[in-house]
Amino acid sequence: MKARLASALLLLVLLGGWEAWCRLGSVPALIVPAPSSVFATLWSEIVSGRLLPHLAITATEMTLGLALGCLIGLGAGILLAEAEFLRRLLHPYIVASQVVPKLALGPLFIIWFGFGLTPTVVITALICFFPLMENTLTGLSQVDPARRELFRMLGASRLQTLLRLKLPSALPMMLAGLRVAVVLSLVGAVVGEFIGGRAGLGASIIAAQSVMDSSLMFALFIVITLLGMVFYQAALLLERLLLRHHLKG
Amino acid sequence: MSIERQREGFVVLDGASYRYGAEAPIVDRVDWAIPRGAFHCLVGRSGSGKTTLLKLAAGLLRPDTGQVRIDGAALNGPGSRIGFVFQQPTLLDWLSVLDNVLLPLSLKRALRAEDREKARALLGLVSLGDYAQRHPAQLSGGQQSRVAVARALITEPDLLLLDEPFAALDALTREELQDDLLALCAMHATTVLFVTHDIGEAVYLADRVAIMAAGRLHHEMAVNLPRQRGREMRYGQPFNALCRELRQAMDAAS
Repeated sequence: MKARLASALLLLVLLGGWEAWCRLGSVPALIVPAPSSVFATLWSEIVSGRLLPHLAITATEMTLGLALGCLIGLGAGILLAEAEFLRRLLHPYIVASQVVPKLALGPLFIIWFGFGLTPTVVITALICFFPLMENTLTGLSQVDPARRELFRMLGASRLQTLLRLKLPSALPMMLAGLRVAVVLSLVGAVVGEFIGGRAGLGASIIAAQSVMDSSLMFALFIVITLLGMVFYQAALLLERLLLRHHLKG
Repeated sequence: MSIERQREGFVVLDGASYRYGAEAPIVDRVDWAIPRGAFHCLVGRSGSGKTTLLKLAAGLLRPDTGQVRIDGAALNGPGSRIGFVFQQPTLLDWLSVLDNVLLPLSLKRALRAEDREKARALLGLVSLGDYAQRHPAQLSGGQQSRVAVARALITEPDLLLLDEPFAALDALTREELQDDLLALCAMHATTVLFVTHDIGEAVYLADRVAIMAAGRLHHEMAVNLPRQRGREMRYGQPFNALCRELRQAMDAAS
Protein backbone atom coordinates (compact mmCIF):
# COMPACT_ATOMS: atom_id res chain seq x y z
CA MET A 1 0.00 0.00 0.00
CA LYS A 2 2.81 2.37 0.98
CA ALA A 3 4.69 1.45 -2.20
CA ARG A 4 1.61 2.19 -4.30
CA LEU A 5 1.17 5.56 -2.65
CA ALA A 6 4.81 6.40 -3.26
CA SER A 7 4.45 5.21 -6.85
CA ALA A 8 1.47 7.54 -7.41
CA LEU A 9 3.33 10.37 -5.73
CA LEU A 10 6.30 9.85 -8.03
CA LEU A 11 3.98 10.18 -11.04
CA LEU A 12 2.69 13.52 -9.73
CA VAL A 13 6.24 14.76 -9.13
CA LEU A 14 7.32 13.72 -12.63
CA LEU A 15 4.28 15.37 -14.23
CA GLY A 16 4.85 18.53 -12.17
CA GLY A 17 8.50 18.64 -13.19
CA TRP A 18 7.59 18.14 -16.84
CA GLU A 19 4.99 20.91 -16.69
CA ALA A 20 7.43 23.29 -15.01
CA TRP A 21 10.15 22.45 -17.52
CA CYS A 22 7.81 23.20 -20.46
CA ARG A 23 6.58 26.47 -18.99
CA LEU A 24 9.79 27.87 -17.57
CA GLY A 25 12.21 26.49 -20.13
CA SER A 26 10.06 27.71 -23.02
CA VAL A 27 10.26 24.38 -24.83
CA PRO A 28 8.39 24.59 -28.16
CA ALA A 29 5.02 22.82 -27.81
CA LEU A 30 5.66 21.01 -31.09
CA ILE A 31 8.69 19.22 -29.62
CA VAL A 32 7.41 18.48 -26.10
CA PRO A 33 3.88 19.57 -25.19
CA ALA A 34 3.13 20.31 -21.53
CA PRO A 35 1.11 17.70 -19.63
CA SER A 36 -1.72 20.20 -19.16
CA SER A 37 -2.14 20.59 -22.92
CA VAL A 38 -1.83 16.80 -23.45
CA PHE A 39 -4.61 16.14 -20.95
CA ALA A 40 -6.73 18.90 -22.47
CA THR A 41 -6.36 17.28 -25.90
CA LEU A 42 -7.11 13.85 -24.47
CA TRP A 43 -10.24 15.15 -22.78
CA SER A 44 -11.52 16.86 -25.93
CA GLU A 45 -10.90 13.65 -27.92
CA ILE A 46 -12.90 11.66 -25.40
CA VAL A 47 -15.88 14.02 -25.14
CA SER A 48 -16.05 14.61 -28.90
CA GLY A 49 -16.39 10.83 -29.34
CA ARG A 50 -13.48 10.71 -31.81
CA LEU A 51 -11.30 8.51 -29.62
CA LEU A 52 -13.66 5.66 -28.80
CA PRO A 53 -14.01 4.08 -32.29
CA HIS A 54 -10.21 4.02 -32.72
CA LEU A 55 -9.76 2.52 -29.28
CA ALA A 56 -12.37 -0.12 -30.10
CA ILE A 57 -10.63 -1.03 -33.36
CA THR A 58 -7.20 -1.42 -31.76
CA ALA A 59 -8.65 -3.43 -28.87
CA THR A 60 -10.46 -5.66 -31.37
CA GLU A 61 -7.30 -6.24 -33.42
CA MET A 62 -5.40 -7.00 -30.25
CA THR A 63 -8.01 -9.45 -29.01
CA LEU A 64 -8.40 -11.23 -32.35
CA GLY A 65 -4.65 -11.37 -32.96
CA LEU A 66 -4.01 -12.59 -29.42
CA ALA A 67 -6.73 -15.26 -29.67
CA LEU A 68 -5.50 -16.48 -33.04
CA GLY A 69 -1.85 -16.40 -31.96
CA CYS A 70 -2.56 -18.22 -28.70
CA LEU A 71 -4.62 -20.88 -30.44
CA ILE A 72 -1.85 -21.55 -32.94
CA GLY A 73 0.87 -21.27 -30.28
CA LEU A 74 -0.90 -23.69 -27.98
CA GLY A 75 -1.60 -26.17 -30.77
CA ALA A 76 1.92 -25.97 -32.16
CA GLY A 77 3.44 -26.27 -28.67
CA ILE A 78 1.43 -29.40 -27.88
CA LEU A 79 2.14 -30.94 -31.28
CA LEU A 80 5.88 -30.29 -31.10
CA ALA A 81 6.10 -31.51 -27.50
CA GLU A 82 4.29 -34.76 -28.26
CA ALA A 83 5.85 -35.59 -31.62
CA GLU A 84 9.63 -35.70 -31.36
CA PHE A 85 10.00 -36.08 -35.13
CA LEU A 86 7.89 -33.01 -35.90
CA ARG A 87 9.87 -31.00 -33.40
CA ARG A 88 13.15 -31.77 -35.16
CA LEU A 89 11.54 -31.20 -38.55
CA LEU A 90 9.72 -27.93 -37.90
CA HIS A 91 11.46 -26.13 -35.05
CA PRO A 92 14.17 -24.49 -37.23
CA TYR A 93 11.47 -23.09 -39.52
CA ILE A 94 9.46 -21.76 -36.61
CA VAL A 95 12.52 -20.03 -35.18
CA ALA A 96 13.24 -18.60 -38.64
CA SER A 97 9.69 -17.23 -38.77
CA GLN A 98 10.45 -15.35 -35.55
CA VAL A 99 13.89 -14.10 -36.52
CA VAL A 100 12.61 -12.62 -39.78
CA PRO A 101 11.54 -9.03 -38.99
CA LYS A 102 7.80 -9.47 -38.97
CA LEU A 103 7.12 -5.80 -39.52
CA ALA A 104 8.95 -6.09 -42.80
CA LEU A 105 6.27 -8.57 -43.80
CA GLY A 106 3.63 -5.85 -43.31
CA PRO A 107 3.71 -4.51 -46.87
CA LEU A 108 3.42 -8.07 -48.17
CA PHE A 109 0.43 -8.74 -45.94
CA ILE A 110 -1.25 -5.62 -47.34
CA ILE A 111 -0.95 -7.13 -50.81
CA TRP A 112 -2.33 -10.43 -49.54
CA PHE A 113 -5.07 -9.25 -47.19
CA GLY A 114 -5.75 -5.65 -48.26
CA PHE A 115 -5.84 -2.65 -45.90
CA GLY A 116 -7.67 -2.69 -42.60
CA LEU A 117 -8.22 -5.20 -39.87
CA THR A 118 -6.93 -8.44 -41.41
CA PRO A 119 -3.23 -7.70 -42.01
CA THR A 120 -2.91 -6.18 -38.53
CA VAL A 121 -4.56 -9.20 -36.91
CA VAL A 122 -2.22 -11.52 -38.85
CA ILE A 123 0.88 -9.56 -37.79
CA THR A 124 -0.31 -9.54 -34.19
CA ALA A 125 -0.95 -13.28 -34.25
CA LEU A 126 2.43 -13.94 -35.83
CA ILE A 127 4.16 -11.96 -33.09
CA CYS A 128 2.35 -13.41 -30.09
CA PHE A 129 2.12 -17.08 -31.01
CA PHE A 130 5.83 -17.58 -30.34
CA PRO A 131 6.06 -17.02 -26.55
CA LEU A 132 3.03 -19.22 -26.02
CA MET A 133 4.41 -22.00 -28.21
CA GLU A 134 7.84 -21.91 -26.60
CA ASN A 135 6.44 -21.90 -23.07
CA THR A 136 3.93 -24.66 -23.85
CA LEU A 137 6.74 -26.74 -25.34
CA THR A 138 9.01 -26.16 -22.35
CA GLY A 139 6.23 -26.66 -19.81
CA LEU A 140 5.08 -29.93 -21.34
CA SER A 141 8.58 -31.36 -21.44
CA GLN A 142 9.34 -30.46 -17.80
CA VAL A 143 6.65 -32.53 -16.09
CA ASP A 144 7.82 -34.10 -12.82
CA PRO A 145 9.17 -37.61 -13.64
CA ALA A 146 7.62 -39.09 -10.48
CA ARG A 147 4.15 -37.96 -11.56
CA ARG A 148 4.70 -39.37 -15.05
CA GLU A 149 5.64 -42.66 -13.45
CA LEU A 150 2.45 -42.48 -11.39
CA PHE A 151 0.39 -42.12 -14.56
CA ARG A 152 2.25 -45.03 -16.13
CA MET A 153 1.56 -47.10 -13.04
CA LEU A 154 -2.13 -46.22 -13.31
CA GLY A 155 -2.17 -47.34 -16.93
CA ALA A 156 -3.11 -43.89 -18.30
CA SER A 157 -3.24 -43.52 -22.08
CA ARG A 158 -1.11 -40.95 -23.88
CA LEU A 159 -4.09 -38.62 -24.34
CA GLN A 160 -5.05 -38.95 -20.66
CA THR A 161 -1.49 -38.18 -19.62
CA LEU A 162 -1.52 -35.09 -21.84
CA LEU A 163 -4.89 -33.78 -20.72
CA ARG A 164 -4.83 -34.71 -17.07
CA LEU A 165 -1.17 -34.43 -16.15
CA LYS A 166 0.99 -32.58 -18.65
CA LEU A 167 -1.28 -29.66 -19.54
CA PRO A 168 -2.30 -28.88 -15.93
CA SER A 169 1.37 -29.15 -14.86
CA ALA A 170 2.46 -26.85 -17.69
CA LEU A 171 -0.29 -24.31 -17.01
CA PRO A 172 1.83 -21.88 -14.93
CA MET A 173 4.47 -21.85 -17.68
CA MET A 174 1.84 -21.39 -20.39
CA LEU A 175 0.23 -18.49 -18.57
CA ALA A 176 3.62 -16.81 -18.16
CA GLY A 177 3.89 -17.07 -21.96
CA LEU A 178 0.44 -15.56 -22.29
CA ARG A 179 1.54 -12.55 -20.23
CA VAL A 180 4.39 -11.89 -22.65
CA ALA A 181 2.05 -12.47 -25.61
CA VAL A 182 -0.42 -9.89 -24.27
CA VAL A 183 2.28 -7.21 -24.17
CA LEU A 184 3.51 -8.14 -27.64
CA SER A 185 -0.01 -8.15 -29.06
CA LEU A 186 -0.32 -4.43 -28.35
CA VAL A 187 2.96 -3.78 -30.16
CA GLY A 188 1.68 -5.90 -33.06
CA ALA A 189 -1.64 -4.09 -33.29
CA VAL A 190 -0.23 -0.56 -33.08
CA VAL A 191 2.68 -1.13 -35.42
CA GLY A 192 0.46 -3.10 -37.80
CA GLU A 193 -1.72 0.00 -38.02
CA PHE A 194 1.32 2.16 -38.72
CA ILE A 195 1.85 0.13 -41.88
CA GLY A 196 -1.58 -0.65 -43.19
CA GLY A 197 -4.23 0.76 -40.91
CA ARG A 198 -6.82 3.39 -41.74
CA ALA A 199 -8.31 3.46 -38.28
CA GLY A 200 -7.18 2.59 -34.78
CA LEU A 201 -4.79 4.19 -32.28
CA GLY A 202 -1.67 3.45 -34.37
CA ALA A 203 -3.24 4.95 -37.50
CA SER A 204 -4.31 7.96 -35.42
CA ILE A 205 -0.69 8.54 -34.36
CA ILE A 206 0.36 8.60 -38.02
CA ALA A 207 -2.50 11.01 -38.77
CA ALA A 208 -1.51 13.26 -35.84
CA GLN A 209 2.09 13.23 -37.02
CA SER A 210 1.08 14.37 -40.50
CA VAL A 211 -0.53 17.49 -39.01
CA MET A 212 2.30 17.96 -36.48
CA ASP A 213 -0.06 17.64 -33.51
CA SER A 214 2.37 16.40 -30.85
CA SER A 215 0.00 16.86 -27.97
CA LEU A 216 -2.49 14.52 -29.72
CA MET A 217 0.35 12.03 -30.21
CA PHE A 218 1.17 12.17 -26.49
CA ALA A 219 -2.52 11.77 -25.65
CA LEU A 220 -2.62 8.65 -27.84
CA PHE A 221 0.50 7.26 -26.10
CA ILE A 222 -1.36 7.56 -22.80
CA VAL A 223 -4.39 5.72 -24.18
CA ILE A 224 -2.21 2.95 -25.66
CA THR A 225 -0.33 2.53 -22.38
CA LEU A 226 -3.58 2.29 -20.42
CA LEU A 227 -4.96 -0.24 -22.92
CA GLY A 228 -1.85 -2.39 -22.47
CA MET A 229 -2.06 -2.19 -18.69
CA VAL A 230 -5.72 -3.22 -18.71
CA PHE A 231 -4.94 -6.28 -20.87
CA TYR A 232 -1.94 -7.17 -18.71
CA GLN A 233 -3.99 -6.92 -15.52
CA ALA A 234 -6.64 -9.13 -17.12
CA ALA A 235 -3.95 -11.73 -17.87
CA LEU A 236 -2.76 -11.55 -14.24
CA LEU A 237 -6.32 -11.98 -13.01
CA LEU A 238 -6.81 -15.03 -15.25
CA GLU A 239 -3.55 -16.44 -13.92
CA ARG A 240 -4.60 -15.95 -10.32
CA LEU A 241 -7.92 -17.63 -11.04
CA LEU A 242 -6.52 -20.65 -12.88
CA LEU A 243 -3.53 -21.23 -10.60
CA ARG A 244 -5.28 -20.76 -7.27
CA HIS A 245 -4.61 -24.39 -6.30
CA HIS A 246 -1.17 -24.84 -7.82
CA LEU A 247 1.68 -25.03 -5.33
CA LYS A 248 3.76 -21.88 -5.22
CA GLY A 249 7.39 -21.98 -6.21
CA MET B 1 -1.52 -76.57 -9.62
CA SER B 2 -3.13 -74.29 -7.03
CA ILE B 3 -1.17 -75.98 -4.25
CA GLU B 4 1.97 -75.50 -6.29
CA ARG B 5 1.14 -71.83 -6.70
CA GLN B 6 0.40 -71.42 -3.02
CA ARG B 7 3.75 -72.87 -2.15
CA GLU B 8 5.47 -70.77 -4.74
CA GLY B 9 4.13 -67.46 -3.45
CA PHE B 10 1.82 -64.79 -4.82
CA VAL B 11 4.67 -62.56 -5.95
CA VAL B 12 7.76 -64.33 -7.24
CA LEU B 13 11.04 -62.82 -8.35
CA ASP B 14 12.95 -65.53 -10.13
CA GLY B 15 16.60 -64.66 -10.78
CA ALA B 16 15.63 -61.09 -11.68
CA SER B 17 18.47 -58.78 -12.77
CA TYR B 18 18.43 -55.22 -14.04
CA ARG B 19 21.19 -52.91 -15.23
CA TYR B 20 21.39 -49.47 -16.86
CA GLY B 21 23.54 -49.74 -19.97
CA ALA B 22 26.87 -51.44 -19.46
CA GLU B 23 27.23 -50.60 -15.76
CA ALA B 24 27.25 -53.14 -12.96
CA PRO B 25 23.76 -54.53 -12.34
CA ILE B 26 21.55 -52.48 -9.98
CA VAL B 27 19.56 -55.60 -9.15
CA ASP B 28 21.57 -58.81 -9.34
CA ARG B 29 19.90 -62.25 -9.64
CA VAL B 30 17.29 -61.74 -6.94
CA ASP B 31 15.07 -64.66 -5.92
CA TRP B 32 12.18 -63.85 -3.66
CA ALA B 33 8.69 -65.14 -2.99
CA ILE B 34 5.95 -63.34 -1.08
CA PRO B 35 2.96 -65.49 -0.06
CA ARG B 36 -0.53 -64.08 -0.54
CA GLY B 37 -1.48 -61.69 2.27
CA ALA B 38 2.06 -61.42 3.67
CA PHE B 39 3.79 -58.17 4.58
CA HIS B 40 7.44 -58.17 3.53
CA CYS B 41 9.99 -55.42 4.07
CA LEU B 42 13.17 -54.73 2.19
CA VAL B 43 15.86 -52.78 4.04
CA GLY B 44 18.97 -51.27 2.56
CA ARG B 45 21.12 -48.20 2.30
CA SER B 46 20.52 -45.58 -0.41
CA GLY B 47 21.74 -46.83 -3.75
CA SER B 48 21.47 -50.50 -2.83
CA GLY B 49 18.96 -51.09 -5.63
CA LYS B 50 15.81 -51.45 -3.55
CA THR B 51 13.79 -48.87 -5.48
CA THR B 52 14.76 -50.58 -8.75
CA LEU B 53 13.69 -53.94 -7.32
CA LEU B 54 10.34 -52.43 -6.37
CA LYS B 55 9.88 -51.05 -9.89
CA LEU B 56 10.60 -54.50 -11.28
CA ALA B 57 7.89 -55.91 -9.03
CA ALA B 58 5.53 -53.14 -10.21
CA GLY B 59 6.17 -53.81 -13.89
CA LEU B 60 7.49 -50.26 -14.38
CA LEU B 61 10.81 -51.84 -15.37
CA ARG B 62 11.34 -55.18 -17.13
CA PRO B 63 14.11 -57.46 -15.83
CA ASP B 64 17.04 -58.01 -18.22
CA THR B 65 17.23 -61.62 -17.14
CA GLY B 66 14.96 -63.67 -14.92
CA GLN B 67 11.29 -63.14 -14.39
CA VAL B 68 8.68 -61.53 -12.17
CA ARG B 69 5.46 -63.51 -11.67
CA ILE B 70 2.27 -62.33 -10.00
CA ASP B 71 -0.16 -65.11 -9.10
CA GLY B 72 1.69 -67.48 -11.42
CA ALA B 73 1.55 -65.24 -14.52
CA ALA B 74 4.58 -63.39 -15.88
CA LEU B 75 4.30 -59.64 -15.28
CA ASN B 76 4.33 -57.60 -18.51
CA GLY B 77 3.62 -54.10 -17.23
CA PRO B 78 1.80 -52.11 -14.58
CA GLY B 79 -1.78 -53.18 -13.94
CA SER B 80 -4.69 -52.23 -11.74
CA ARG B 81 -4.03 -55.20 -9.43
CA ILE B 82 -0.90 -53.45 -8.18
CA GLY B 83 -0.93 -50.29 -6.09
CA PHE B 84 2.20 -48.17 -5.75
CA VAL B 85 3.10 -45.51 -3.19
CA PHE B 86 6.05 -43.36 -4.21
CA GLN B 87 8.75 -41.73 -2.06
CA GLN B 88 7.02 -38.38 -2.58
CA PRO B 89 3.23 -38.14 -2.23
CA THR B 90 3.07 -37.07 -5.95
CA LEU B 91 -0.42 -35.62 -5.53
CA LEU B 92 -1.84 -33.40 -8.27
CA ASP B 93 -2.01 -29.87 -6.80
CA TRP B 94 -4.89 -28.81 -9.01
CA LEU B 95 -7.25 -31.57 -7.84
CA SER B 96 -9.07 -31.75 -4.52
CA VAL B 97 -8.04 -34.45 -2.03
CA LEU B 98 -11.11 -36.48 -3.01
CA ASP B 99 -10.32 -36.26 -6.72
CA ASN B 100 -6.71 -37.24 -6.02
CA VAL B 101 -7.89 -40.39 -4.27
CA LEU B 102 -10.30 -41.10 -7.14
CA LEU B 103 -7.63 -40.59 -9.83
CA PRO B 104 -6.86 -44.30 -10.43
CA LEU B 105 -10.57 -44.99 -10.99
CA SER B 106 -11.32 -41.87 -13.04
CA LEU B 107 -8.54 -42.79 -15.47
CA LYS B 108 -10.24 -46.14 -16.06
CA ARG B 109 -13.92 -45.24 -16.36
CA ALA B 110 -16.63 -42.71 -15.54
CA LEU B 111 -17.04 -42.24 -11.80
CA ARG B 112 -20.12 -43.47 -9.98
CA ALA B 113 -21.69 -42.26 -6.77
CA GLU B 114 -20.47 -45.34 -4.90
CA ASP B 115 -16.88 -44.58 -5.96
CA ARG B 116 -17.11 -41.23 -4.18
CA GLU B 117 -18.60 -42.92 -1.15
CA LYS B 118 -15.75 -45.42 -1.11
CA ALA B 119 -13.14 -42.67 -1.43
CA ARG B 120 -14.74 -40.74 1.43
CA ALA B 121 -14.77 -43.87 3.57
CA LEU B 122 -11.11 -44.50 2.78
CA LEU B 123 -10.25 -40.89 3.66
CA GLY B 124 -12.11 -41.44 6.93
CA LEU B 125 -9.92 -44.47 7.64
CA VAL B 126 -6.75 -42.39 7.24
CA SER B 127 -8.33 -39.69 9.50
CA LEU B 128 -8.81 -37.20 6.68
CA GLY B 129 -12.60 -37.37 6.52
CA ASP B 130 -12.98 -33.61 6.87
CA TYR B 131 -10.37 -32.79 4.25
CA ALA B 132 -12.01 -34.21 1.11
CA GLN B 133 -12.57 -30.84 -0.53
CA ARG B 134 -9.20 -29.33 0.43
CA HIS B 135 -6.31 -29.14 -1.98
CA PRO B 136 -2.87 -30.74 -1.44
CA ALA B 137 -1.18 -27.36 -0.84
CA GLN B 138 -3.37 -26.96 2.24
CA LEU B 139 -2.21 -30.26 3.79
CA SER B 140 0.81 -31.11 5.94
CA GLY B 141 3.42 -33.60 4.73
CA GLY B 142 1.92 -36.40 6.82
CA GLN B 143 -1.58 -35.70 5.53
CA GLN B 144 -0.30 -35.75 1.95
CA SER B 145 1.27 -39.16 2.58
CA ARG B 146 -2.06 -40.41 3.94
CA VAL B 147 -3.80 -39.26 0.75
CA ALA B 148 -1.17 -41.08 -1.33
CA VAL B 149 -1.83 -44.31 0.61
CA ALA B 150 -5.59 -43.90 0.19
CA ARG B 151 -5.11 -43.32 -3.54
CA ALA B 152 -3.10 -46.54 -3.86
CA LEU B 153 -5.81 -48.52 -2.06
CA ILE B 154 -8.91 -47.19 -3.86
CA THR B 155 -8.70 -49.92 -6.52
CA GLU B 156 -8.38 -52.60 -3.77
CA PRO B 157 -5.15 -53.94 -5.25
CA ASP B 158 -3.99 -57.47 -4.49
CA LEU B 159 -0.44 -56.23 -4.18
CA LEU B 160 0.68 -52.96 -2.60
CA LEU B 161 4.22 -51.70 -3.21
CA LEU B 162 5.61 -48.84 -1.13
CA ASP B 163 8.88 -47.01 -1.71
CA GLU B 164 9.98 -45.35 1.57
CA PRO B 165 6.65 -43.51 1.71
CA PHE B 166 7.13 -42.15 5.24
CA ALA B 167 10.85 -41.31 5.08
CA ALA B 168 10.29 -37.54 5.06
CA LEU B 169 7.95 -37.51 8.08
CA ASP B 170 8.66 -36.87 11.75
CA ALA B 171 8.89 -39.90 14.04
CA LEU B 172 5.47 -39.56 15.70
CA THR B 173 3.58 -39.05 12.43
CA ARG B 174 5.49 -41.97 10.96
CA GLU B 175 4.38 -44.28 13.78
CA GLU B 176 0.73 -43.25 13.31
CA LEU B 177 0.93 -43.89 9.59
CA GLN B 178 2.54 -47.29 10.16
CA ASP B 179 -0.39 -48.34 12.37
CA ASP B 180 -2.90 -47.00 9.81
CA LEU B 181 -1.16 -48.87 7.01
CA LEU B 182 -1.20 -52.17 8.93
CA ALA B 183 -4.92 -51.76 9.66
CA LEU B 184 -5.76 -50.92 6.03
CA CYS B 185 -3.76 -53.83 4.62
CA ALA B 186 -5.33 -56.25 7.10
CA MET B 187 -8.83 -55.29 5.87
CA HIS B 188 -8.45 -56.88 2.44
CA ALA B 189 -5.50 -59.17 3.29
CA THR B 190 -3.38 -57.16 0.85
CA THR B 191 0.03 -58.55 -0.05
CA VAL B 192 2.63 -55.88 0.67
CA LEU B 193 6.23 -55.21 -0.26
CA PHE B 194 7.55 -52.22 1.69
CA VAL B 195 10.94 -50.68 1.02
CA THR B 196 12.64 -48.65 3.75
CA HIS B 197 16.02 -47.72 5.16
CA ASP B 198 14.64 -47.61 8.70
CA ILE B 199 15.33 -50.86 10.60
CA GLY B 200 12.73 -50.20 13.31
CA GLU B 201 10.07 -49.50 10.68
CA ALA B 202 10.86 -52.76 8.88
CA VAL B 203 10.68 -54.90 12.02
CA TYR B 204 7.48 -53.20 13.21
CA LEU B 205 5.62 -53.69 9.93
CA ALA B 206 6.86 -56.92 8.45
CA ASP B 207 6.28 -60.66 8.72
CA ARG B 208 9.57 -61.09 6.97
CA VAL B 209 12.52 -58.77 6.32
CA ALA B 210 15.35 -59.01 3.82
CA ILE B 211 18.45 -56.89 3.46
CA MET B 212 19.55 -55.56 0.11
CA ALA B 213 23.15 -54.51 -0.55
CA ALA B 214 24.83 -53.85 -3.89
CA GLY B 215 21.91 -55.32 -5.82
CA ARG B 216 21.81 -58.64 -3.97
CA LEU B 217 19.58 -59.99 -1.24
CA HIS B 218 21.14 -61.00 2.08
CA HIS B 219 19.89 -62.40 5.34
CA GLU B 220 16.19 -63.04 5.01
CA MET B 221 14.71 -63.01 8.47
CA ALA B 222 11.28 -63.94 9.81
CA VAL B 223 9.79 -61.51 12.34
CA ASN B 224 8.29 -63.69 15.04
CA LEU B 225 6.21 -61.06 16.75
CA PRO B 226 2.41 -61.25 17.24
CA ARG B 227 0.61 -60.02 14.08
CA GLN B 228 -1.25 -57.43 16.14
CA ARG B 229 1.42 -54.77 16.55
CA GLY B 230 1.19 -51.94 19.06
CA ARG B 231 3.17 -49.03 20.40
CA GLU B 232 4.34 -50.88 23.52
CA MET B 233 5.96 -53.51 21.36
CA ARG B 234 8.52 -50.99 20.09
CA TYR B 235 10.13 -50.86 23.52
CA GLY B 236 10.02 -54.61 24.25
CA GLN B 237 13.04 -56.87 24.38
CA PRO B 238 12.07 -59.20 21.44
CA PHE B 239 11.54 -56.21 19.13
CA ASN B 240 14.92 -54.69 19.98
CA ALA B 241 16.68 -58.04 19.66
CA LEU B 242 15.34 -58.33 16.11
CA CYS B 243 16.46 -54.78 15.33
CA ARG B 244 19.93 -55.57 16.63
CA GLU B 245 20.13 -58.75 14.57
CA LEU B 246 19.06 -56.87 11.46
CA ARG B 247 21.56 -54.10 12.10
CA GLN B 248 24.43 -56.57 12.51
CA ALA B 249 23.37 -58.36 9.36
CA MET B 250 23.34 -55.05 7.48
CA ASP B 251 26.85 -54.24 8.64
CA ALA B 252 27.99 -57.69 7.57
CA ALA B 253 26.35 -57.36 4.15
CA SER B 254 27.88 -54.03 3.16
